[in-house]
Amino acid sequence: MRNLFFSDADCAIGSGPGIGIKPGVKQLLTDMDRFGIDRSLVRHGNSALLGAEAANRELAEMLEADASGRLVGVWCLLPDQCPELPQGDAFFSAMKRANIRALTLLPKDHLFVPCREAIGRIMDAARERKIPVLFKTEGNDWRNVYDFLREFPRNRVIVYERWGKWGRDRQLRPLLENYENVVFSIGGYQVPEGIRDLAELYGPERLLYGSGYPLYSQGCGMLQVKQSGLGDEAVALIAGGNLEKMLAEVQL
Amino acid sequence: MNGPVSIWEQPGTLAYKFWNEGRADIPIYDMHGHMGSHNGIYMNRCTPESMAEHLRRIGVRHLVFSHHHVLFGAMRNAEVVEICRRYPDLYRMYVGIVPRYMENVREDLANFDKWAPYAVGLKCLADYYKVPLTDPSWEYALKFADERALPVLFHTWGNSKYDGGEVMLKLVQKYPRIKFFIGHSLYSEWDMAERIVKESNGNVWLELTAIPGEYGLVEMLAQRVGSDRLLYGTDLPWFDEYQGVGGILSTELAEDDMRNILYRNAERIFGKEW
Repeated sequence: MRNLFFSDADCAIGSGPGIGIKPGVKQLLTDMDRFGIDRSLVRHGNSALLGAEAANRELAEMLEADASGRLVGVWCLLPDQCPELPQGDAFFSAMKRANIRALTLLPKDHLFVPCREAIGRIMDAARERKIPVLFKTEGNDWRNVYDFLREFPRNRVIVYERWGKWGRDRQLRPLLENYENVVFSIGGYQVPEGIRDLAELYGPERLLYGSGYPLYSQGCGMLQVKQSGLGDEAVALIAGGNLEKMLAEVQL
Repeated sequence: MNGPVSIWEQPGTLAYKFWNEGRADIPIYDMHGHMGSHNGIYMNRCTPESMAEHLRRIGVRHLVFSHHHVLFGAMRNAEVVEICRRYPDLYRMYVGIVPRYMENVREDLANFDKWAPYAVGLKCLADYYKVPLTDPSWEYALKFADERALPVLFHTWGNSKYDGGEVMLKLVQKYPRIKFFIGHSLYSEWDMAERIVKESNGNVWLELTAIPGEYGLVEMLAQRVGSDRLLYGTDLPWFDEYQGVGGILSTELAEDDMRNILYRNAERIFGKEW
């Protein structure tokens, strides 16, 4: 019996012409069993090319195959001036039905400006409902993250990166210092003893275990967290406690 | 938290030991390291002291490194030897070769034997200097290594015109005695990495820095060339040792293969005491 609950904040499933054949629900659940992951927060891996409406729908369909309820979905949001997604409360009701408890946005792929004029209504609703919003950094230039957080400093934002493996402390630490509602998902963050350093500087509540699956295996980051050198309580928060709390507080 | 038994919960395995104790009763040889600050990355564990603490926590027996400031600046290899002398049980070094400083190269290689047991090979970083490894400016050092059958850690990257597959293939054909450590395994140019190993006379190993943890890649390389041709590395102070070892333990390889990667292959090259 395991003594540490792991929740993966950074997973994607689903294939696409641009990304090839990638794991689906069955493979992800198998991998989670292999490593001892209790829950995964899952995006559609082909959202960028497929588009928000179709990717949200496909993800909901894929998650129907998870009878265990261990997979929790993430939907893309769009500006509601273009009524492509359900509007207002209907959107959140649909999220609840499909076991979706977080949002994300891909403004560079879906071609909109992630500012208050465009997505202010849905971001305000997400804040009121305590829905976390995942935001991906773009390469070496993190200005888009900073701009987004200046617009929406009161939202719960999970920052994750998917560029490479270079240490990002020069970009990341100012965010954690200045935006108290930001948490960082550690997938791809491979800085030696870096998890311990960040936790000691900003608190273990600001870090989430995230694997970057399926680019990365779920296992390697688990050992990094377990052997981070932090105390058991801090390790438990980063491993899964923080994400579980965030998801439990979501109001749909 | 009931459920299937994970890889970390199977007593007697390497994964179980690293998970529960933070180390196992094996030596680890990290064959690709650096030291010192970096222009683009804040590295909070880049001093000899802080790196040693990290390495010893997980049980790395030797880290073989080339200093950033030798490769990117004016630091001399002789200064790195002095760092190694302060940690004789832990650090070994590659003599950094900067072909634009040929006087330094000649002087350093003349001292190579005096730097035993710390200096174990050479390091070439052609991508960063934009000087192809086939350029004559590398020849002096490569001939030196070939005559002595020395290990040379090459930074390589897929399709690079400086140290990509075509370049490395020419080098392997030209220098039959160099022990080629193909840093980053020609990342992304996997067909060529396999070909270079298979067309060599047993003097080529693929070094894994930046690969452990990527879904299925270590397994794919082991399937192509055999786990006895893979060397463990992390680029420390770039990457965390627990991430690297975790990336090996997370593969679907047999434990014998993991042991090959983490220490047995290095011991076959260098022996058990080096």
